[in-house]
Amino acid sequence: MANPAVSLREPLIAGRKTSAQVSRDICAVLDRRPTALWWSAFLLALSTLLLGVAAVGYQISVGIGTWGLNRTVGWAFDITNFVFWVGIGHAGTLISAVLFLLRQPWRTSVNRSAEAMTIFAVICAGLFPVIHMGRPWLAFWMIPYPNWRGPLWINFRSPLVWDFFAILTYFTISLVFWYVGLVPDLATIRDRTAPGLRRRLLSFLSLGWDGSQRTWQRYETVYKLLAGLATPLVISVHTIVSWDFATSLIPGWHTTLLPPYFVAGAIFSGMSMVLTLMIVARKVMRLEDYITRQHIDKMCKVTLATGLMVGFAYVIEFFTALYSGNQYEQFVFVNRALGPFWWSYWIMVGCNVAIPQLFWLRRVRRTVWAVLVISIVINVGMWFERFVIIVTSLHRDFLPAAWSSYAPTWIEIATLAGSFGLFFTCFLLFCRFVPVIAISEVKGVLSVGRQFDEPLPPPAGARPLRAVPAAAGAVAQTEATQ
Amino acid sequence: MAGERTRQAQQRNRRNGSRFPGTASPPAGSSGEHEELAVGRRGFLKAAGFGLMLAGCRQAPLEKAIPFLIPPEEIVPGRSLYYASTCTACPAACGLLAKTRDGRPIKLEGNPAHPLSRGALCALGQASILGLYDKWRPRNPRHQGQDTSWEQIDAQIMERLEGLRRGGGALRLLTGTLNSPALEAVVKRFLAGFPDARRISYDPVSRSAILDAHLQTHGKRVLPRYRFDRAEVILSFDADFLGTWISPVEHTAGYREARSPDVETPRRCYHVQVESRLSLTGSKADRRIVAAPHEHGPLAVQLAAALADLAGESFPGEVQRNEGLAQRVEPLARMLWRARRRSLVVSGSPDPAFQTACNYLNELLGNYGRTLELGPASRQREGDDGALAGLLEELGRGEVGALLVWGVDPVFELPLEGRWETLLEQVPLMISLDDRLTETCGLADYFCPDHHYLESWGDREPVEGVLSLLQPCIEPLGRTRPLIESLSAWMGDSRPAYELLREHWRSALFPRQRQETSFDAFWDRALHDGVAQIEPESRSFSEARFEPRMFGDGSREVSPAEGEFSLVLYPKVGILDGRHADNPWLQELPDPISKATWGNYACLAPLAAEAIGVREGDLIRLGAVAGQGPELELPVLVQPGQHERVVAVALGYGGKATRRFAGIGPRWLEAGETVGNDGRVGVNSAPFIRLQARHLVYSGVPVRLSPTGERRQLARTQLYDAITVPASLALPGGERRPAVKEVTWEELFDPHLPVEPGTHSEHGSSQDLWPDDHPYTGRRWAMTIDLDACTGCSACVIACQVENNIPVVGRDEVRRQREMHWLRIDRYYWGQGENLRVAHQPMPCQHCQNAPCETVCPVLATVHSAEGLNQQVYNRCVGTRYCANNCPYKVRRFNWFDYAHEDELENLVLNPDVTVRSRGVMEKCSFCVQRIQEAKIEAKRRGVELRDGEIQSACQQTCPASAIVFGNINDAGSRVAQLAQSARHYRVLEELNVKPAVAYLKLVSRPDPQEEGHG
Amino acid sequence: MKSSIATYTLLVALVFSLLALGQRARGFRLPGDQQGYEPVQPIAFSHRLHAGDLEIDCHYCHSGAERSRHAGIPATGTCMNCHRFVTASWGAVREENRRAQREERPPRRLLSPEIAKLYGHLGLDPNGEMGPGSQASPLSWIRIHSLPDFAYFDHRAHSVAGLGCPTCHGPVETMERVRQQESLSMGWCVNCHRQTRTGIQGAPVEASLDCSTCHY
Repeated sequence: MANPAVSLREPLIAGRKTSAQVSRDICAVLDRRPTALWWSAFLLALSTLLLGVAAVGYQISVGIGTWGLNRTVGWAFDITNFVFWVGIGHAGTLISAVLFLLRQPWRTSVNRSAEAMTIFAVICAGLFPVIHMGRPWLAFWMIPYPNWRGPLWINFRSPLVWDFFAILTYFTISLVFWYVGLVPDLATIRDRTAPGLRRRLLSFLSLGWDGSQRTWQRYETVYKLLAGLATPLVISVHTIVSWDFATSLIPGWHTTLLPPYFVAGAIFSGMSMVLTLMIVARKVMRLEDYITRQHIDKMCKVTLATGLMVGFAYVIEFFTALYSGNQYEQFVFVNRALGPFWWSYWIMVGCNVAIPQLFWLRRVRRTVWAVLVISIVINVGMWFERFVIIVTSLHRDFLPAAWSSYAPTWIEIATLAGSFGLFFTCFLLFCRFVPVIAISEVKGVLSVGRQFDEPLPPPAGARPLRAVPAAAGAVAQTEATQ
Repeated sequence: MAGERTRQAQQRNRRNGSRFPGTASPPAGSSGEHEELAVGRRGFLKAAGFGLMLAGCRQAPLEKAIPFLIPPEEIVPGRSLYYASTCTACPAACGLLAKTRDGRPIKLEGNPAHPLSRGALCALGQASILGLYDKWRPRNPRHQGQDTSWEQIDAQIMERLEGLRRGGGALRLLTGTLNSPALEAVVKRFLAGFPDARRISYDPVSRSAILDAHLQTHGKRVLPRYRFDRAEVILSFDADFLGTWISPVEHTAGYREARSPDVETPRRCYHVQVESRLSLTGSKADRRIVAAPHEHGPLAVQLAAALADLAGESFPGEVQRNEGLAQRVEPLARMLWRARRRSLVVSGSPDPAFQTACNYLNELLGNYGRTLELGPASRQREGDDGALAGLLEELGRGEVGALLVWGVDPVFELPLEGRWETLLEQVPLMISLDDRLTETCGLADYFCPDHHYLESWGDREPVEGVLSLLQPCIEPLGRTRPLIESLSAWMGDSRPAYELLREHWRSALFPRQRQETSFDAFWDRALHDGVAQIEPESRSFSEARFEPRMFGDGSREVSPAEGEFSLVLYPKVGILDGRHADNPWLQELPDPISKATWGNYACLAPLAAEAIGVREGDLIRLGAVAGQGPELELPVLVQPGQHERVVAVALGYGGKATRRFAGIGPRWLEAGETVGNDGRVGVNSAPFIRLQARHLVYSGVPVRLSPTGERRQLARTQLYDAITVPASLALPGGERRPAVKEVTWEELFDPHLPVEPGTHSEHGSSQDLWPDDHPYTGRRWAMTIDLDACTGCSACVIACQVENNIPVVGRDEVRRQREMHWLRIDRYYWGQGENLRVAHQPMPCQHCQNAPCETVCPVLATVHSAEGLNQQVYNRCVGTRYCANNCPYKVRRFNWFDYAHEDELENLVLNPDVTVRSRGVMEKCSFCVQRIQEAKIEAKRRGVELRDGEIQSACQQTCPASAIVFGNINDAGSRVAQLAQSARHYRVLEELNVKPAVAYLKLVSRPDPQEEGHG
Repeated sequence: MKSSIATYTLLVALVFSLLALGQRARGFRLPGDQQGYEPVQPIAFSHRLHAGDLEIDCHYCHSGAERSRHAGIPATGTCMNCHRFVTASWGAVREENRRAQREERPPRRLLSPEIAKLYGHLGLDPNGEMGPGSQASPLSWIRIHSLPDFAYFDHRAHSVAGLGCPTCHGPVETMERVRQQESLSMGWCVNCHRQTRTGIQGAPVEASLDCSTCHY
C-alpha cells in the first residue's frame, strides 16, 4: 500500500482472483456435497412450508372464517403478507436492471441472487390474492376470457384486476431476465460437468452457448433490452399495488401519497432482505471474497436512502391528514399512533426510521453482524408497515357503531410462516443448483479497483477451462471499451 | 372415577333423550328437496371451478318433479297465500297475516286491519314462526315421559278425573293470561264439572298490581287500555311501554302518533321517564329522571301531593315532607297539570300502593276515559298474584288433588327457592298441556302437548269488544292437540276446535255485533279480516275513591345499605319471560340498548363498575345480603344512564331449553361454545323474584357484588357506543361524528328560524367520474328512515332475517363481529347522567348511486341496477371482501363458513324466493328485491301500474312506529319522494358523495314545554 | 437440413392434434349445460300426440305459466279430465267395438298400458272406480328444464310479454319425448334480453338486463 493510488479505490473482489479461480470458487458450491448446515436449514424451511400448506389446506376446506377477520376488518394478514412479499421482490429488479443501466460494477456479485429472491418473493406474494378469496376455486374468474355468460367480462375499473396483471407481468419479466443472465454461467457449468444426463440438461438450458464473440454480443444486447423493459416495472408494480388502497375511500388508504411511498418502501424492504440473505450466504458458502464488506456497505447506503424516503412519507402522511381538516382522515392517523394498535405503529416507526439511522456510521455499515441484525429489524418493520396501513385504517373508519378490532388466528400465523418456508425452501434449492453469483459478470469486474500496472497472478495450479478465458476476455474488452 | 363419569354422562343422555325426541322427519308436502338442491348448488359451483374434474360428469344430479295427484284448490305452485291470524307469542295478541307457500307458513306480516297492532309486529312475533318448525317440539302425548296415544292418555286421565270428582278433591287449572273467549267458555264448563275447581292465572312478568289497584280504587279488577296516542304529556315510572310493557306494538304506534311532527297539525307529546336503568322507552324519553327503585315510591307520592295542591284537594295518603323531592317534582306537577285530561301517568311497579298513587294522579288529572280507558278495558294481562299465593298455600297444605298447567312454567319462571318442585311432586295428579317442553312438564304425570298457534283454531280478545281470530296455516306437524279439544274431550265432547270455536261465536259473540245479519257472513268476514268488532260486555265500575290505607306506607322497597346494590330484574326485548328463549333468532337478536346477544349479564353504571373495579366481561358473583339465598355469576356490562346503586339483570335466561344451543354455529379449530359451562345460555335470575305480601316483587332486593376474577367476554354487535370518538384521540372539531343529526322542535316549526333545506337534490357539486352511468329514466328505489320515530325495538331485524334466509351464527361468531344481520341498528350515546341522549339508527345497505363497492369488485359481482339497486350477485362473487372494506357504512356481510342448513324441519321456514348463500360469498340488504320483482311482474301480468306502497320491504312492513318508508323516488307522488322534501331529511356520510338511496329524518329534540310559554 | 425435418414433423403433429381437439370440442359442454337432455319418463307421455296432433293448448296442462313463476307439471288428476273417457287408442277401441258386435256382447272397456299406469298412480281400477284398498301414489316425473337455484326465472313475465312457449322450449309439439332444446345458459338468456329490448312483435317490452332480474 505504498502507492497512494492504491487506496483510492479498494478492489471490488478481494483475494486477487483469477478468472479460473472465480469459476472454481463459485462452482465449488455446486460440486460440493451439501453441508450439514444447508441440510438443517433446508429441512427447517421445508417443514415450515409444509406447516403453511396444512394451514392453507385447512382454511380452504373450512372457510375464511378460520382467519381472524370480521365484518369490519376484511383484510389483515393475507394482504399484509401479499404487499410485504411484493415489496421484497423489488430489490431484485432494481439491482439487476437499474443498477445495470447505471453501470454499477458492484451489483455483479449480488444481482443473481437478488433476482432469484425477486422471483421467489413474487411467487409467495402471488399466493395470497388467491387464497384470500372466499372461493379460491373460482380464482380464474379474474381472467378476461370469452365465456357463455353473455359474455360477462371482468371489472376493468377494479384495482384488483390491475394488480392481477401487474404482478403477472412483473413475474414474467423477472423470470426471463433472470434466466437470460443465467445462460453464460449455465454454459460454464456445462463445460465443467462430465457427460451425462445433467450435462445434456445443462447444454439444453444454456441454449447452445459457445462463448464466441457473437454470442457475447447478442447476449449483451438482449440483456440491455430486458433491463430497459424491467426498469419501469420497478415503479409500476408497487404503484399499482398501492392503488388497491389509494383508489378506495377508506381514510388512511385514500391518499395520493401511497404510490411513491409504497415504491420507496418496497425498495427499502427488498434491499434489507437482500442484505440478510447475502450476509448469510457469503458466510455459509464462503464467498467473502466476492461479496465483500464494500458490497454490503453500498447496499446499506441504498437502504438508508430509501429508509429516509419512507420516514419522510410517514411524516407527510400525518401532515396531509392534519392539514386536510377532514375529521375522518385526522382521526385515523391519531388512532394509528395512540389507538388500540399503537404498538404496531411504533414498531413500524422504530424499525423503519429510527434504527436504520445507524447506517450513517461507516463502522456500522462495515460490521457484518450489525448490518445483519438491522436488516432483519427492517424486514420486521416493513411487515408491520403494511399491517398498520391495512388494519388500523379498516378497524375504525366512518361510523363508530361499526368499529371493530382484529386478532390473528393460529391458522393465519401458520400461513405467514408457511410463506417464509416457501421462500427459503426455494432460495436454498437455488443456492444448491445455480451459481449464486453471476460468474461471467464478476469476471468482468475483477479488474475494478485494481492497479492496472500490477500483473495478474499466474493461474494458481488449476488448469484453466476452455470456454472461460475467452469469455472473461470478452467481458474485459466490453468493460474496457466503455 | 372415569366409570362414574361415563355413567353420569349416560344418564344425562338418557334424560335428554326422554326430554327431547329425535329429529322429526319433515311432513308430507314439505320441500325436503330444498336442502338437497342447496347442497347440489354448492357442489356445482365448486365443481364449476375445478372444471377439469368435471370432464366426466355430464349431467347435473337427477331432479324429480312431483305434482299433486289432485290439486288442492287455490294452491298454485310458486304463489303465496296469506291467512289472517293472531300472534300468541305474548298476551298482547297482535294481528298477523301468515304468508304460506305450498301449504307451509314462511313469514309473518302484521295485519293492517287489526285495530291495535295496525299492521305491525314485534321481534317476538316475527320470530315466533320458527317455533312451528322446532324439531324439539313435543309431537306425542306422554305418560311418565313415555310417548303414548291420545286414546290411552284420555282414558287414564278421564278415569282419574272421575275419581277426583267423586272424591270431591280440589282441581286447579294454572294458566297464563288467557284472553280467549271460546277457550274461557270451555274452561268454565270444564271446571263446572267439579265440586271444587278454579282457574288461577299469573303472568311471569306480573302486572297484577295495576289490576289490584283498580279493584281498590274503581271497584273492578281491570287493566286499563292505555291510549298513548291521545297523550300530550307522558310520565312513566319504570314502565317500558315501548319495549316490553303490556302491549308494546300498540303503544309504539300510539306513541308515534302523539309525537309526529310530519302531520297536518304536528303533535309534540312530551315524555318523562323515571327509571333506574336505561330502558328502550327511556332511550326515547325527552327527559329521564334516574332514580333507584326505592326512590320511585316517594317521588310518586310527593308528585301526588303536589298535584293535589294544584287541584285544590287534600291528598288522602300521608306524605313525609321532603323539600328536596318536593322541588324536584314541582315542575313535573305543573307540566302535568297544564296538560290535564291530555296527560298519562303509567308505572311498571308491581306494588299496588304505588299503582294506587298512579291511579290517583290520573284521576286528579282527569285522564280516565281519555288517555286511559276502563271500558272497554284491556284484557292483555289478567294475572293475579294473590291467587297464585293462595294456590301455593293450598299446595303447601296438600289440598290440591289435580293440577293442570297451561301456558306457564312456574318451575323456571318463579322458582321461589325451589318451592314449586317440592310442592308439585306432592300433587296426586298433574297434567301439563303446554305446547312446548317446559321445565314444569318434567314434573307432570301426563303431558298433553298443545298445537303451535299457527296450527290451531282459536280466538283472542285483547281489548273488550275486539275479537282477533286464529286459523291454522298448516297441517299439525305432530300428534298434538289444542287445549280446548283436550278439555272438551275430557268432558266427553270430542268435537274439533273448529266446531267448538264456531259454536261459541254463534251462541255468545254473534249476538253482540251489529254489522252482519247472518252468522256465516259474520264468520267469513272475521275469518278474512282476522278481526271483528263486537259490543263489549257492559263492565260497570264505580266512581274512583281513594283511602289512606291504599297508598300503603310510602314504599315497600328498602334502600340498599352502603356497599350494597339494589337488584333490578327486567324483561328483555325479544326474550321477555324466557318462554321464547329456545328461539335462536331471538337469542342472536342484539339487545336494543346493550347490543349484547346470547345470554344475560349484570348491568352496572360506569361509576359503580369503577367503584368495585370491574370492566365489561368480568364475571361477578351476585349474592343476597343475608348470605344464604340465591347466587348468580354473571359477566359485567357497563351501562351508561343507569343509577349508580343499581345492578340490572335480564330475566328469562338459563332455561333447560337453551341446552339445544350447544354446538350451534360453525365448528372449527378455534370455535368457541355458545352455551356456558352449565351447558345453557345465560343464567336464570328468577330465583331473586320474591312473593312478598301476596305480590311478586322483581326489584329492590339488596345484593352484594363480588368480582370472581374470571372473565366471560360478552358477544356484542356494537363495540363502541358513543357518537363521539375517544377523547384521547379527538382533534378539535373532530370529536363528534355527524352520522346522527338532531333538530329542535323550534327549529322545525319556528318560521323565523332558517331551516336547512332538504338534501334530496344532488348534494354538493357532485362531480362524478362517470356522470351518466345511472340515468334512472324509469323507477328509482329509495328508502327513508325516521330516526325520531325509530325506537330500536328491532322487529325489523328479525323480519329481515326471516324474509332473507339469514343464518344464525352462534355466540362465538358474534363475539368475533361476524353476525350476519343485513339490517343493523346502530345505537349511539352522547351526554352524561340524566342528560344522556340515545339514538337508534337502522343501517341497511345504503344502495349508493356512486357505490364504492361496485367499482372495486374485480368480477362484477356487485353492480348497479337501472332502478338504483345495488345488486349483489352471489353466484358471481369470489369473495375478495374488497367491497366490504370499501363500504363506508360497513353493511356488507360475508359468509365466513357454510352456515348450518342441515335441520330439514327448520329449513321449511326458508323463503323459496331468496337464494341460500353458500360459503365464501358476500351478501347484504337487497331492498327485498324479491318482493320488488314479484310486485313488478304481477303488475305487468294484471296490466296495471305499480302503486306507491304496493311494495313494502320486510323491515318497513313490520315497523310498529312506521319509521321506514320505501318507494320510487322518481314518482313525485310517492311518500318517499315527499319525505325527501322534509326539513329533517339528510343522508349519512353525504360528504363522501356516494349518494346513498337511503335517507334519514333527523332526530327531534323536544325541550321542556314549560320552558317556552305556550302550554 | 435436420431442423427442416423437425419442423415438418412438428407441423404434421400440430395439424393432427388440432383435428383431434376439434372432434373433442364438439362433444365439449360446460358443467350444468343440459342441452339435448331427453330422459325417459315414467309414463311415455307424447307431447307430439297431445300438443301436436290434438292441438291441446300448452296452458291447458301447464296452467301456471300465466299465473305463477312456475309453469308447473299438471296434477295427475288433470289427465283424468280426458282420460276418464279416453282410455285407449281410437283404433283399438273401434276394433273392440267391431269384435263386440260380432260376438253380440257389450264392448269391453280397454285400457292402454300407459294410461293404466296413470290409473295405478291415482289408485283407480280399470273402470276408473276407487277400488277398495287401492293405493294412490305420487307420480314423479323427471325434470328436464331446470335452472340452478340462484337463477329465478318467471314464466309470467315472459308469457305476458308475448313470448311463445317454443321460444325457450322448442317445437315441443313435434317431440315424442320432450328434449331440452336450448342451452338455457346465462348467455342464451341475456342475448335474448338484449335483442328483445326493441320489443316483441312490435309490442314494447322492457327486457331488463339487471342482474337482479334473475339473481337474488
